[in-house]
Parts: sequence; C-alpha cells; structure tokens
Amino acid sequence: MIQKKVCMLGSFSVGKTSLVRRFVESIFDEKYHTTIGVKVDKKVVKLGGEDITLVLWDIHGEDVFQKMRMTYLRGMSGYLLVVDPTRRQTLEDALSLQERVKEATPGIPCILVLNKHDLLKEWEIDLDRIAAIEQRGQPVIRTSAKTGQGVEDAFSRLAGAMLQSPS
Amino acid sequence: MPEQAQRRAPVPQPVEKPETGDRAFEELRHIIVSPEQEQIVEIRSRLEDPGRRIEDVSSVVAEAIQMRRDQGDAAALSDALTPTIQETLRESVRKDPHVLADALFPVMGPAIRKSITETLRSMLESFNEALEHSISWRGIQWRIEAMRTGKPFAEIVLMHSLLFRAEQVFLIHRETGLALNHVTAAAVATQDPSMVAGMLSAIQQFVRDSFGSNREESLDSMAVGGLEVWIEEGPHAVLAAVIRGHAPAAYRVEMKEILESVEADFGAPLEKFAGDSGPFRAADARLQNLLVTHYRERPKSERKPRLAIAAGALLLAILVAWVSWVTYEAHRWSQFARSLAAHPGIVVTSYGKSGGRWHVRGFRDPLAGDPSDDLARLGLDANDASLDLAPFYSLDDAIVTRRATNLLAPPSGVMLAEHAGTLAASGAASAAWIEGLRQRAPLIPGVSSVDTTQLRAAEIVSLESAVLTFPVGRADLDPGQQAEIARVASDLRAIQQFASHTDQKAVASIVGHTDTTGIEGTNQVLSNQRAGTVAAILERDGIPEDALAPRGVGTTQPLRSEDNEENRHLNRSVTFHVNLFPASSAP
Repeated sequence: MIQKKVCMLGSFSVGKTSLVRRFVESIFDEKYHTTIGVKVDKKVVKLGGEDITLVLWDIHGEDVFQKMRMTYLRGMSGYLLVVDPTRRQTLEDALSLQERVKEATPGIPCILVLNKHDLLKEWEIDLDRIAAIEQRGQPVIRTSAKTGQGVEDAFSRLAGAMLQSPS
Repeated sequence: MPEQAQRRAPVPQPVEKPETGDRAFEELRHIIVSPEQEQIVEIRSRLEDPGRRIEDVSSVVAEAIQMRRDQGDAAALSDALTPTIQETLRESVRKDPHVLADALFPVMGPAIRKSITETLRSMLESFNEALEHSISWRGIQWRIEAMRTGKPFAEIVLMHSLLFRAEQVFLIHRETGLALNHVTAAAVATQDPSMVAGMLSAIQQFVRDSFGSNREESLDSMAVGGLEVWIEEGPHAVLAAVIRGHAPAAYRVEMKEILESVEADFGAPLEKFAGDSGPFRAADARLQNLLVTHYRERPKSERKPRLAIAAGALLLAILVAWVSWVTYEAHRWSQFARSLAAHPGIVVTSYGKSGGRWHVRGFRDPLAGDPSDDLARLGLDANDASLDLAPFYSLDDAIVTRRATNLLAPPSGVMLAEHAGTLAASGAASAAWIEGLRQRAPLIPGVSSVDTTQLRAAEIVSLESAVLTFPVGRADLDPGQQAEIARVASDLRAIQQFASHTDQKAVASIVGHTDTTGIEGTNQVLSNQRAGTVAAILERDGIPEDALAPRGVGTTQPLRSEDNEENRHLNRSVTFHVNLFPASSAP
C-alpha cells in the first residue's frame, strides 16, 4: 500500500474543508482547524489498478488572524492549491502561497483547484490569467464541492503526478 | 589521454646507429615521438613513485566513496571501513581520550541529561507508589516480603502494582507523518491508523512550533482520562504507544530500545521512504513486544512464604500482647475507679487516660478511706496517675456515723449509728452525756434527728444493780449501808432530772424480797415492810413520793437460789427497777 502526504492549501473559506468533507474519510472534528490549524483526513484513490492512500492535511486557510504553519508541509508529496474564483484575491493569495511553498520545498506536484464551479456566473477571476498559468504547465482543475464535479479527478491527477515525481 | 598514449606509444627498441642520411629521420622521429616518450616517463614515474600515487588517490578518494554509496552499495563500503574506523577510534581513545570526549560532548550531554531525567522520574514514580501502598493491608504484606527478600520496598511495590496495558503502537515516519506500521492488542477498538498517525505528527509539530522548543525536543506524552499516549522520536521514525493505565518509566526505556532497533534495521527504507509501508511489516514482531499488559500478581501455586507467615504471626502476637496489655491496664484502672467509688465518702466523677497518664477526678470526705490503699492493693503505681479529689462533707451513713463518733466521743458501751439523717445511740451513758448528745448531734452535718430509745442512762443501770439487805425476819436495814443508800438516792435524782429533760416520767419500783425461811404469808408482809422502809428513807432524802412505787414480792422473785447462807442473805433484800413513760401518758 502506497501512502502519500498531501496538503490542502488555500485562503480562508475557499472550500477546502467542503471538498474534504464530502469526498474523503474523516474521523476528526473540524474544531482542530481553529485549535491547532490542521485536520488530517484520508482519501483512497485508484490509480492503474493500485490503491493509493492520500493522507490529507487540511490546513487552516490563512487570514488576518492566523498564519499558516509551514512546518505542517514537511514531508508532503503534493498539494492541492484551492482557489475560490468568486473572490479574486484568493487566486493572488494562492499564487503567492505557491511561491512560498516552492521556495521551501521545490519540485512538489501541485494542482490548482478552482472550486465553486457551480457559481460560474459569479467568478471574478481573469480566465485569461488562468489559461496563461495552465500554459506554464501548472495543472488546473475546476471543481464543485457542491455537485462533486471534478473532485475525484483533482485527487487522481495529483496522485498520478506524485507517483511520477521522484520524491 | 593516458590510455591512448599507452596504445600509441611504441615500446622503445634498441636501434642501429643511423647513417648520416638517417639522421634526418632520427630527428624527425625524435620530434614525433619525443613528447609521447616524455609522457610515458611521466606516467611511469607516477606509477612507481608512491608519493605521487598517494597524491593522485587523495584527490578523488572522497568522490569515489560518494559514488560507491550512490550506487547503493553502502553496506559493502561499511563492511570495508568498519574495522579500520573501529581500530582508529580505539587508538585515538588510547592516545588521548579528550579528543573523542570533546567531539562527543554535544551529543552525550543531552543524552545523559535525558537519561538522568528518566531515572529520577522513575524513582519518583516508585516513591509515589510506595507512599500510596505503605499503609494498606497489602502494603504491610509487601513490606514483609521486602524484609524477607532483602529487596527495597519500592521495588516490591513496583513488582506487584505494574498495572497497565499498551493497547496500540504506531510506527510513524517522522518526516511525512505517515503510518509505517500499526499493531493493536486484542479487542481494542481503533481508528484509521493513517489518520491518527498524521494527526499525532501534526500535534507534535504544533507543540514544537507553539512552545518554541528546538527540533530535538518534542512532546513525550499526552494524557486523556485513563489513556496516555507516549511518544518516542528517533531520527527517522516516531514510536507512539497508546497506554491504558499507568505505565512505569521503564516502559519508555523499552520503547527507546525498540525504536533504536527499528532505526538500525530499517535505516535505508526509512531514509528513502516514498510512501510504501510494505518493508515495515517486518517490524511487526518487535512492535507486538510493546503491546503488553504488565500486571504481575503472585501466582497462587507459589511456595508458602513460611518466613512471612512467621513474621506475620510474630507481628500479630505483638499486636495481641499490646492490645491485651492496654486492655488489662484500662481494666485495672477502671477497677481502681470502681473501688474508690465503693468507698463511703468518695465520689468519682470521671476517669480516663490522657497524655499517657491516668486521671481520676471526684470528691473525697476527709474521713473517707485512703485511695493509696486501693492503689497498693491493685498493684498500681501512684506515679502513673493523678488523683484530683476535692474535699467535701459526705452524707453517707458510715461517714456521718464516723463524724458523729469523732465529735460526740461516746463513752464505752455506747454505739452510734446514723441512717437517713437519724443518729441512733444505743447502750448506756451518763444522763449528762445523753443530754449533750441531744443538744449537739443535730449540729453535725448529715444528722437531722437523734434516736435515744436504745440508750439507757447509766444511773438507771447503776440503780437497778443496787441491792439493800436486811437481817432475818426484820424490816430494818442491815447496818453499814448508808453509802449505798446515798448512791441510790443520787441515782434517783439524776434519773428524775434526765426524765424531766427528756419529757418523760420516771417511776422507780422498790421491790422487797424475803428468803424462803418462815411462813409464806409472813414473808409477803415482811417484803412489803422492807420496800416501805426503803421508800420512807428515800422520801426523807427528798425523792418525791410519786416517783417511788414500793411493793413486796415475798419469796416469788429470789435473787439467788438459796444453797448457802450468803445467797439466802441476798434474798433478804430490796432491789430497784425504773420505768420511763412519756410525760403525757404517765400514771
């Protein structure tokens, strides 16, 4: 059985926990987010006939009150960078966070997740910018925690990328 | 390139001396071959000169070792180097131990500190356990066992009371927080180990980050109700044991040892861990070793500890002896208190033991018995007790009687006895003393009235013993009885006085007697005359006529049986008998 540590990163209230809540196994209360800043869950994905256990560290989104603890990222094999496209700032924050992560632990696979696809009409972000990011080789997946769209795909894509990655 | 040079350089052959025409060729050859020849010489000198060879190897030795390790053959490298390194270290220590000591100092310091801390904690736990169990019945049993086996008591306590169960053990990859292995005891409900391991790591990091400790210091344990999670960290792996109950510090030592063995035996898989926990299944057995229920109860089949039983019996005997002595002592003192209380004139209000001494409190009449007699009789030591008996007047009959006797000094033959406030006197006393008794007795504490009905005045006794004698056939007194007559008159006067003071009337019967000679009728007349004679004399002496009752009894009441002349003479006499009546009912 292969296990991988995966972090869920993104600003406060972009829907990380919602993604986790509906699609993964969870045993811990969500109050851990506000107390120690992280909650660990599990997602098993099938890849090439093999089960891969993703141990998800759902890390509390940064806000003015709470900074993310970078030490929680130690040993991760990949991460989902979750953005709420209805708030433009969350994309900026996500990209800036990605820079910090790259600096600390370079070469870790990352999927940029544009959540809340069910609210497409309310999206504020610049789609051209997203296209440019994709062109640079950054995988981008559109998901909806509400409808379940793209969620499995996001985890599977990340798992695939991690297995190819040397780390 | 040396290889090329070797291939291309011909081995120098001896050549014939060249002709002049050949000189040009020789020169040409020199020009062409010479540089390579020089290289060959250079190479040969390198190969043959050990100094140069050392120089060459030294420039690549580090890279060569690195490359060999990268090729994944670190084990062979270790095998090759280990003996040399060991020997080198040994030699270094032999020459100068300080070098290695200085180098190890930063590592040894924290290790020693940690070891000392663990030892102290272990000792403290033992001490606490010892305190907890020192006063229970089981504690006494264990103390006896400690004496019997010569082991420290704390060790015995630990041996018996290690009650804990390690329910789950996690082996966690330190860097990623992923579960490498997880074992559980039978019938223990568990959560998903990968999530629990992750959360444990997160909490570890949270604590380390939040409380500013360095990377080497970490959360050692967490406690939740009856559960504890003990965590031991190695360089690459973390061992977490979920313990129900209270494990001794020695369990941590066990954890450390197992973690060290895991780190040693799984060094490579730990270092290169990329999510595959497969290799760590081999650690199952040693993790299972940590799933222990440590509770050692002495097996029932164990040989009976005779010494312990003997010691127990001795202890019991001492206890019984002590309890008996205390009970006996208490019994003797209570006996003393009861015996004191039985004394007339002593009242015991309380007794008991305090401050190691017995106390008896109460009251004692000065005329009551001496308590020290009771102490001596019961074999008690007066120094062991304090007697606090305040003086008082007792109304106890015996004490009032004693008090009255002391104060009234009754003449011999008079008995005094007080009961219910009445002092009764019996016997004979002078009328004057009786008069004094009547006046003084009611003043004595405890006496409210006097009963003299059993008391006779001495004068009456004296009078009733008087005998006045007469010649044969005559009614005038034998001569020489004036003194006796005077005493009779004096007694009669005293009796009269006593009777009037006691509100009585005294009447003295004057009884005339005759002997049996002569005629009965004449004797009766003669006895009447004799009584009359005496009455007349007494009347003349001032005794009122109504206080005298003369009568003759003839021969009917002889004083003696007439077997000789002397007795017959005593029967020719007058005797007296006094009757006292209440004044109101007097005839």
